[in-house]
Amino acid sequence: MEINHFNCLSIGVGGQGVIRATQILADAALLDKHSVRTAETHGMAQRGGSVTGYLRFGSEVMGPLIPKGGANIIMSFEPSEAIRAIPYANADTIMFVNIKPIIPLSVYQNKKIVYPSFEEMQTNLKKVTQKVLFIDAAELAIKAGSIKAANVIMLGVMLGSGALPLSRENLEKAIMDGVPAKALDINKKAFDLGIAKGEELKEKI
Amino acid sequence: MSSKKIPNVALNEPGKKVIMLGNEAIARGVLEAGVTMAAAYPGTPSSEITPAIAACVPFHPHINVEWSVNEKVAFEVAYAGSMSNARSVAIMKHVGVNVATDSLFEAAYHGVRGGMVLVSADDPSQFSSQNEQDNRYYGLHALVPVFEPSTPQEAKDMMKYAFPFSEEHNSVVLFRTTTRMNHGRGDVELGEIEKPDREIGFDFDRNRWVCVPSNSRPQRTSIIKRMEGIAEIADDFPFNGLTISEEKMNGKKYGFVAAGIAYSHLMDTLNQFGLTEKVSILKLGLVHPLPKIMMKKIMNSVDELVIVEELEPIFEEQFKALAFEEQINSVKIHGKNIIPQQGELTPGTLNIKITQLLGIDYTPFKAPELDITAPPRLPQMCPACHHRNTYWVMKQLERKLKLKFIKNNDIGCYSLGVYKPLEAADTALCMGGSIGMANGFAKIVPEGQIVTALLGDSTFFHSGIAPLTNAVYNQNDMLIFIQDNSFTSMTGGQDNPANGIKITGEQGVKIDIAKVVEGCGVPKENIWVQEAYEMDAMMEKMEQAVLAKGVRVFIAKHMCSLQEMRLVKKNKIKLPTVKVDPEKCIGCQICVRKFGCPAISFNFETKKAYIDQSQCRACKTCTFVCPSKAFYVAEE
Repeated sequence: MEINHFNCLSIGVGGQGVIRATQILADAALLDKHSVRTAETHGMAQRGGSVTGYLRFGSEVMGPLIPKGGANIIMSFEPSEAIRAIPYANADTIMFVNIKPIIPLSVYQNKKIVYPSFEEMQTNLKKVTQKVLFIDAAELAIKAGSIKAANVIMLGVMLGSGALPLSRENLEKAIMDGVPAKALDINKKAFDLGIAKGEELKEKI
Repeated sequence: MSSKKIPNVALNEPGKKVIMLGNEAIARGVLEAGVTMAAAYPGTPSSEITPAIAACVPFHPHINVEWSVNEKVAFEVAYAGSMSNARSVAIMKHVGVNVATDSLFEAAYHGVRGGMVLVSADDPSQFSSQNEQDNRYYGLHALVPVFEPSTPQEAKDMMKYAFPFSEEHNSVVLFRTTTRMNHGRGDVELGEIEKPDREIGFDFDRNRWVCVPSNSRPQRTSIIKRMEGIAEIADDFPFNGLTISEEKMNGKKYGFVAAGIAYSHLMDTLNQFGLTEKVSILKLGLVHPLPKIMMKKIMNSVDELVIVEELEPIFEEQFKALAFEEQINSVKIHGKNIIPQQGELTPGTLNIKITQLLGIDYTPFKAPELDITAPPRLPQMCPACHHRNTYWVMKQLERKLKLKFIKNNDIGCYSLGVYKPLEAADTALCMGGSIGMANGFAKIVPEGQIVTALLGDSTFFHSGIAPLTNAVYNQNDMLIFIQDNSFTSMTGGQDNPANGIKITGEQGVKIDIAKVVEGCGVPKENIWVQEAYEMDAMMEKMEQAVLAKGVRVFIAKHMCSLQEMRLVKKNKIKLPTVKVDPEKCIGCQICVRKFGCPAISFNFETKKAYIDQSQCRACKTCTFVCPSKAFYVAEE
């Protein structure tokens, strides 16, 4: 498929696997013969902080950063992080949001800081784009055999929904490449479950 | 299954395309150039380069690689390699170069035998740094050439090119990168790996290598000539490029100048607005010295020229100086008047600035106002991190003994103690600065205050030993906390003398910090070594240390909890389960408001604390911290 540029922003909390997911998508895009660039948060900022992975691929891509308002898709591993990613969204952006919250300690230490309710987050995200899909990745991952497969669920949903212009074959290859032999079955199952979920949600976007 | 295959960086498959992190691409360039000496001190965003070089060693055993104890030593290790005709590289973050400059400035005089490259990883926007200094200045200051790549592919190719260049021009090459280059991935086509087939050995040329004035005065003359020589060939540098467009927009011809990641952003913007063929573009790969013929040509070809550079106006000032010298008055030169001097340059900013200048109608998408904001999520110390234990006990003792500590902090994970809820750092300056500053505070400390310094094991070896001897010698009384977790943790858990493991995974010599401290002249009775999870003993021993006189050193030990968890996983160890007894929890929130372990949360409906078992690493410190003893070990 000829693509000029496709911008995918991944966001989450340090330790959730945002960087690994960005890496997998980059590998898959290269296998699909695209030119690829990423930018990632490493080091100090990773310690439980908000982590962003920028992925860009296509024939016109040079720099690794996505301009504000320029994301084709946003994959958020945590609902409040999706709010943080809003400056990168536009009215056509498709958002994939894992619904499990991770409450930052700042809400206990400063009374002015509140963690928004799920309904508030839902309404606000939809102010920007109607194409928001909420996913209970943990539930599906447990169904696949391990809560650790939640990220593979997210990747599967993105592909199944048709929003991610990568081939199933190469995304699967990129995912399985780094997976230890004993976890292959679980990850395959998670990928399939994710794709099925994505296909089911397709009409909402 | 992937752990045993040859990593991409070491593959001997020229022509193969792989995805590489910028830092891996840099390491690949080092390998392809036939480098045999590499030395570094870890520092974000440079930290992945040296391990990637080390990953090549099993397949390319000619490479010598080490984590040095600091950047100055790393530079000197590499430089000895160059003096011995080996191609050599030293790798560090931007502020690390400050530590190495004493050696760099002298090496600039002596020149090289084997090609030598100094990699500087700068950090615009300060993602993981105390400042955003622009190390291109070191090229101007030390009189050495500076390269700057703009993509991972170019990083690899330019690195390979830097070694013969260094040899030809008898100079160390400063290889400047920035975070988005280091920590961005891209497709890279692998090249041939050169095998070092040169004779390696020192040449005993004392008229060259000894820095007495009689040697370095004539060297000064020759390095001025050297830079003139490089300036003359700068226009032919293969990673510089100039395209001239005769097209006019609004009756004017426009030109742009950029290097590094800023060049990539510039090209994205020009592509987006279909401008690539309509403007003149000077792309710089050699960022010092600059190509004067190309500079003159672009200034003479356009009506308005925009210097697109991150951070300081280094190109801009040189362009303006050259325009003045050559009396080129027809061009208007833009730089810091439109391109921000602070923070990383972003494509969003460039889109706006360039369309404004060119009179293109463009309104970036603006998201509607939201009525909520994402709660701040600052980086924090991990669950079970033993720095938190030390800070907790320090705070308890300040209250108990009615004393105020002047808390000089340092560079490492423990710097995060400055944030709520512990707020346990009053100063932090640079690597090793905690003990250095404590020496000064010791001379002016008022009654009722205690001067303290706190630093980690790696930072102590890096630059804590010299100021400790200063404290002993000058009798500057202070209490020093050495937070020994056996790893260089903030930069990703690198090995160091505290655990004795070398970068290749081989066992080196483990150095006993308490013995070093004693060797520096701290009396034995003023040295405490304490396991940091034993909170009762921490309270008791630290109180002794606070109340003692003279230079005291309190070493709080526990393995970095991130590394410990890797061992737990690898060896399938079952950790005890810690729980909250809701009957005993009085809802005081001290655990979340004052202690701040990320594994503990509070349910505002039930008004009870609870533990997220997926995050808990069973240090059991909460069982000590909780005033109502609600935390308990449920299963050993």
